[in-house]
This record gives sequence, C-alpha cells and structure tokens, in this order.
Amino acid sequence: MTGATIDHMISLTILIAALLVAMMTFNGLFATAVDYDRNRQVANKAVDLINTICLSPGNPADWGKTNDALLGFGLQDPDVGGYALSPYSLMRLNTVSDGNPLVYYGGTDTYYNNISTSYGYGILTPIGDCVNYTTAAELLGINGTYGFSFEITPTLDVSISQVSTEPLTLNVQVSGSGLPLSGATVTSHLFEIDTNDLSITWHPNVTLTDGSGSADIIFNDIDYANPVYSFTAYVSLGGLHGVGHHICNTISDDEFIVPLVEDFENGSLILTHIWEIENPGEPAAVFYNAAFFILTSNFNVQEYDLDCSGHLTFGEGFNYVPTQIPPSEVGLLIVSYKANNEVGSIIVPWGIGALGVSASYNSGLGSGDYDFVATELRQVTIDNISYQVKVSTWKLGS
Amino acid sequence: MMRTVEVIFVIVILLTAFVIATQFAVLPSPSQAYGTNLRELSQSTLETLDADGILSATVFEDKNDPAWGDLQKALSASLPPNIVYNLTVYDLSAIGGVISYQLNHSISDANLGANSDASSLLVTSPEVTFTQDPQKVGESTGQNITLYILNCEDANGWWITGYTGQSLATEFYNLLSPYFTNTMMVNSTADLGRLLNGTLLPDGVESVENSVVINTFGEAVPIPSFLVDDYSTDYSQYCHFLGQKVNTYNWTWVSIVGYPFYYVTNTLDFTGPSDQAWGIYGMKQVGPPGLNAFLEGLTDETVDGTNIMSPVNVVYLRSTALENCSYYGIYPRPYHTASRALYNETLLGDCGLVATELFDSPQDDPETGIDESYYIPAATYTNVESGFGHGALTTIGLTRTPDPRVAALALLMYYRPTVYRSEFEASGTSRLVTLQLSQQGGT
Repeated sequence: MTGATIDHMISLTILIAALLVAMMTFNGLFATAVDYDRNRQVANKAVDLINTICLSPGNPADWGKTNDALLGFGLQDPDVGGYALSPYSLMRLNTVSDGNPLVYYGGTDTYYNNISTSYGYGILTPIGDCVNYTTAAELLGINGTYGFSFEITPTLDVSISQVSTEPLTLNVQVSGSGLPLSGATVTSHLFEIDTNDLSITWHPNVTLTDGSGSADIIFNDIDYANPVYSFTAYVSLGGLHGVGHHICNTISDDEFIVPLVEDFENGSLILTHIWEIENPGEPAAVFYNAAFFILTSNFNVQEYDLDCSGHLTFGEGFNYVPTQIPPSEVGLLIVSYKANNEVGSIIVPWGIGALGVSASYNSGLGSGDYDFVATELRQVTIDNISYQVKVSTWKLGS
Repeated sequence: MMRTVEVIFVIVILLTAFVIATQFAVLPSPSQAYGTNLRELSQSTLETLDADGILSATVFEDKNDPAWGDLQKALSASLPPNIVYNLTVYDLSAIGGVISYQLNHSISDANLGANSDASSLLVTSPEVTFTQDPQKVGESTGQNITLYILNCEDANGWWITGYTGQSLATEFYNLLSPYFTNTMMVNSTADLGRLLNGTLLPDGVESVENSVVINTFGEAVPIPSFLVDDYSTDYSQYCHFLGQKVNTYNWTWVSIVGYPFYYVTNTLDFTGPSDQAWGIYGMKQVGPPGLNAFLEGLTDETVDGTNIMSPVNVVYLRSTALENCSYYGIYPRPYHTASRALYNETLLGDCGLVATELFDSPQDDPETGIDESYYIPAATYTNVESGFGHGALTTIGLTRTPDPRVAALALLMYYRPTVYRSEFEASGTSRLVTLQLSQQGGT
C-alpha cells in the first residue's frame, strides 16, 4: 500500500512538472505571436502614415501657400504629384523642440518657428500659422493611439569651403551614402556683396566633380582680399540632385538681419535687427539691401527686384521693414548688410528645397520609452532636390 | 510502478503534441515582419530618379554609354548602405496584340539574398514625341492671319517684373507660333511704325489685315519715333490712333498684363530727366486716359470716366478656360490676383464690346465700397459692327509677375484652333525598368 502511494506521488509530481514545462513553453510561443501581431500592426501603420504624408497633398491641396486652416494632413506637392513634396507645406510645420525653441519678436508680438534651427539660413514662420504635432496626429487619425515622427533630409551631402582668395576659389565636395560622387554637374551661383553700397552681383558657374567628388571653382574676377559673398551650389547626377551653401562675411556676428515671414499667402516678410530678438547690445544701426532670386527648374536663377534697401536702428523702439516676394516662386532671399563698417549677408530659402534645409517633426517626447518602433524610408523630391523621408511609428499605451 | 509508467506515457504524448504544434506555429522571420518596405522604397527611388526624365533617357542609351555609370552612382548614393540593388531593363514588343518582354540590360552592386522585393516603372523613350499638329488660326475661315510680336529693342517694359519685353517675346513665339501660318517679330519701334502703316509684311503675305499683335511690354506701349512729336502734347491720342488702326485693320491687340496703354515707351526719344516712370527710363506716363482713348478709337464711342480699373483680388479660371488648358496643353495656375480688372459697364455697355472671358466673376467684397462683380479680370473684347468684327482687344488685368501662358490661353480661347494629335504605340518606344532591392545584415 505504501509503495503504491509513493508511486502515485512520484507520478503526480512528474506529471505536474511536465504540465508546467509545457505550459511555460506554449506561453512563450503565444507571447511571441502576440508581440509579432502587435508589431506588425505598428509596421503597417508606419506604411500607412508615410504613404499619407508623401502621396497626399492634404486638404486644402494648396494649404502650404495659404494661411488656411488644415483639414487633412499631407505634404505632397499638388502641382507635381508622385513622390514630390511641397516646399511650402513643409514651411508651415511647427518643428519646435528642446533644441529648436520658439523665437519671440516684440515688434509684431508674435512667436516664430525656425524650421532649420539657425538664423540667417532658415525660415522663421509665425507659429500661429504653423501646424503643430497634435493637430497633425488628429488629422492622421492616430492621436492617442500611435506616436510618430518624421525626418526629411537631403540625399546628397554637399559641403563647401573657401580654399583661397585673390582670386576667390571655393571647393565643393559631394557625397551620398558616404560615397564621393564623381562626374556630377555643379551649377553654382556666387552672390558677391559690394562692401561700399551693399549691391549684390551674381556670378554663375558650371563645372564637374572629379574622381573624389570634389570640384574647385575659381572666380577670376573676384581678385581681392576679404570678399563678402553668399554661395550656393546645385549638384546633379543620374537624376539625383543636391544643394549646399556657404557664406563669407567680414563680420564675426553674421546674423545682424533676421527675416521673419509675415504672411504665407502673399509672400510678405519683415526684416528685423537681430538685437531686437536676442543678445541686445549698444544702440546701433545696420544698413541693408535685399534681393530675391527665383530658382528655375534647371537650377539657374532670375533676379526679382524687391526695391528693398535702407537701414534699421536698434535701441529706439521696435524697428523693422516689410518686403514682399512672389509667394508661388521658389527662390533665395539674399540680404546684404553693413554694421560698424563690417559687411555680411544672409541667405534665406523660400521653399525649403532651394537651400536643402532639413526638417524634423515630432512630439518632443521621443520614442525611447517604447519597445518597438517601426521605420519607413522613401525617396522624394522637393523643388527638384532629392530628399529622403524617414517616418518612425510606435504604439502608445500598454 | 505502473502509474509512473503511465505518467511517462502521458509526458511523451504531451511532448509529441508540443513538437507537432510548434511545427505548425511557424512565425515569419523578423525581417519579413518588421523590415523596411522595400517595394515602396524601390518605387519611390525609380520615380524620383525619373522626375526630370533622366532615368528614361538613360535606359534608352547604349549599354556602354557613361549615363549608365551615372545611374549606378546615383543608385548607390541614394540607397542606404545596407540595401543592395539590381536594376533590370526589358524591351517591350507587341506582336499580334500580345505584349512580350525581352531582357535588355541589367546593373547591380551585389548578389541579392533570398529576401528581396521589387517594383517597376514603364518609361518612354525621349526620342519618341507625341505630336500634335494644330490647325492654323484663320484656316477654317480662309483667312491668312499673321502673328506680330512686339520685340522692340528701343523700348522698355512696365509691370513685367522679372522679364524684359524681349524675353517675353521669345516666350510668346514658342507658345503661339505653331498656331499661326506666319509669325513676325517687330524688332524696333521703327518696324512698329511700318506695321502701323501697313507695310511690315512677311514673305507671301499681302496685307496686315486680320493680324494679331502682341504687346510684350506690359502696361507700356512702344511708340515709333516719327509719331513722338505728333503726340507729344497728349500721348493718349497715340492710343486713340492705335485703336483706330486696330479697327481699320481688324487686328486683335493683346495686352499681356496690367493696365493697358498706361505708358508709352521709346528709349531713343524719351531721354530727358523727366522721361522715366518709377525709375524705368524711356517712359512717359499716360494714365487711365490711354485705355479710354484706345477704346474710343476702336469703337468710335465716347468713354465716360477717367479710371475704369479696379483691383478685385483673387480670381479663378472658369470651367471653359480649364478645359482649354487641357486641350491646348497650357497650364497656368488656376487662380490669380487681378489688380487691374476693368469695368464691364464701360466695355460691354458704353462701348458695345463682346467679351470672351477667362475667369469667373470676382466676389464682391463689402468692405471695399465697390462691387467687384462688375469688373472683368481678363478677356478678349470684340468690336462688332453690323454683325462683323472690326478689331479686338485682349487685356489680362493680373498683377505682376506676368504669366505669358494666361495671355496665350486667352488668345487660343478666342480663336479656338483645332489640335490634331498623333497616335501612340508602346512597341519599340517603351521599356520596363524593374528595381529589385534586398536588405543586407540583421534588422
């Protein structure tokens, strides 16, 4: 009897142990399947989002060119279609983050969003007209269910440096995915600033990169020390296009004039004194001259007369000057300025592709707390410049 | 002992069930579940490389052409380093209605693994052109209508910011010359004088009657030197003279942008310190009387009021205009700002002109104190006398920068020439490009 009881206990213990092992193993299998299914949903949502963002212009279709409220979110350029993004819609995105804070200007009592995180080379747009992350999430139908962010970066890396003066020589270095791009056509524009009257003279040039993806551009008619200029280089090879820019000033503080967008619809901007926004110094006047260069489809430029020159003072109340550019023309606003007998210039794109500006759009909270983040990548063009769009998506909640 | 043996049997059965169940519950690999959507990435790569036709041009090049090398570099530079590709081009041929594909060329940067995805793009050779032969303006009525484009080297433009009259003349030549039997550039104000005298004629043309004259100088109109003295006390009378000529010769006079006849221009004669308007030299301001006098010359009616113009803000192309955009392949923006619209009561009522309009009627803005709906942004106005046309005026009352396509559209809407289009076949003219991508390494 005792032997039978022991036999029974041993067999029962082994049976329970076997059941536990089997259940744990199946449990792991089920957990993996559930994770797979949930992550698959996130991956599908990432595809949905990037398709909506890249292949839909939003509603109204031309919302980037207007001050209208947004009814549907999408960044496709309605005039081009396909994988082409609107340079104007991107300017209306609220890209504020910890590293890219709002800019307040008391002259208009308005906060501005800076899409490129630096003065002088980016576009400061009134925050009230920008589309914030929450609105975009609501319009995409994912508010509270999925988090997302996207980054738009130029495909080609075009870096420019000054090699020498007398004559002025600039070096353009082109690469993509880490590889130097040889044999690329470089269409460049040098905007020379006259240090006396601040007039802007345009010098075009076309050349090719060598085997190391490098091209030296020599301007024989700029043969003097300390030239002041803004320079842009548009690079093309096999259907791929990129852009880079470089500025040379005689002034160390190279951001004396700040252009602020006043109205998207009619292309009105105001030019302000930097000290009215930050780092106020002693009362000072800055003389300026602004010109707008329309960018054509083959990366040539055509000057549009702004008739905008004069001077701004600091320390006598808010002081700014309005100007207007053609709102539906992509191009470059170049402002030359002189302060304390030092001369500089800034270059601002109208349409983010004109200067290869990058943009990052997110909630500011990041995706670090989430186990699984799906990413999708697409090739797009903005103003004919090749860009890559990367959308990251994650599931909110447990 | 027996129970232990039974339990061992149960365990064996359990493990067997587990193994069998595991065999059926096979999950996809992580790369299949979460990897980048290679098909969509491939499609976007093909489309962006072909955005300005470079890919289409390259795949029709010889296999040894350097363009293939450029395409390889572009693919390597645009794709992430862990993505490898294989681009293959197929010839298309259609025999007996059956389409077949033959391998033409292939490039790749590595062997693709088992997990790859692809997309394709059908491209057309840039050598093959879809032809459309337009009927010549006037051909259907037996008229030989000549297009004259003012390209005067001794004149300056106004309200054509971003252009010169000469650059616009080239644009109009490209846009409109296919629709006319004869097109002639009027290269100086002296030539304009010969045109006004009826002696500037292309070869084989006997008369300047029924012609179209495009003034590319915006709000300014060139004036020949021999007429400067005649009208120096009142240049609006020169505009009156032009209106009479348009009536006499049954011309269609086209003002491409802004307020017509607001200035007269001649850079050889207007050289004094006061001969400039807003900094543009060679210019005399006529003002609103210029258009009024032209209309009086054209219609022989008295035009009341000094200013028949008003801005009306944004206006939209009407549906017939949009249909004509597609028909003629001219695509201006569908909406524009009209800062120089004209009062319809004066044009249609007082002058008795008949309008062929481009835009829908403007919306009334109660805050402006005028009714904008009474103003016409852009139209061709025909002067009808005894049932016959005796001259016409096309005005495009939009703001600068001028869009030549709008004026061209207005003219084509007025004359309505037929366009005969060619047939198009895919065989031998199209190729299929496939781009296969594979992700290397882990996910």
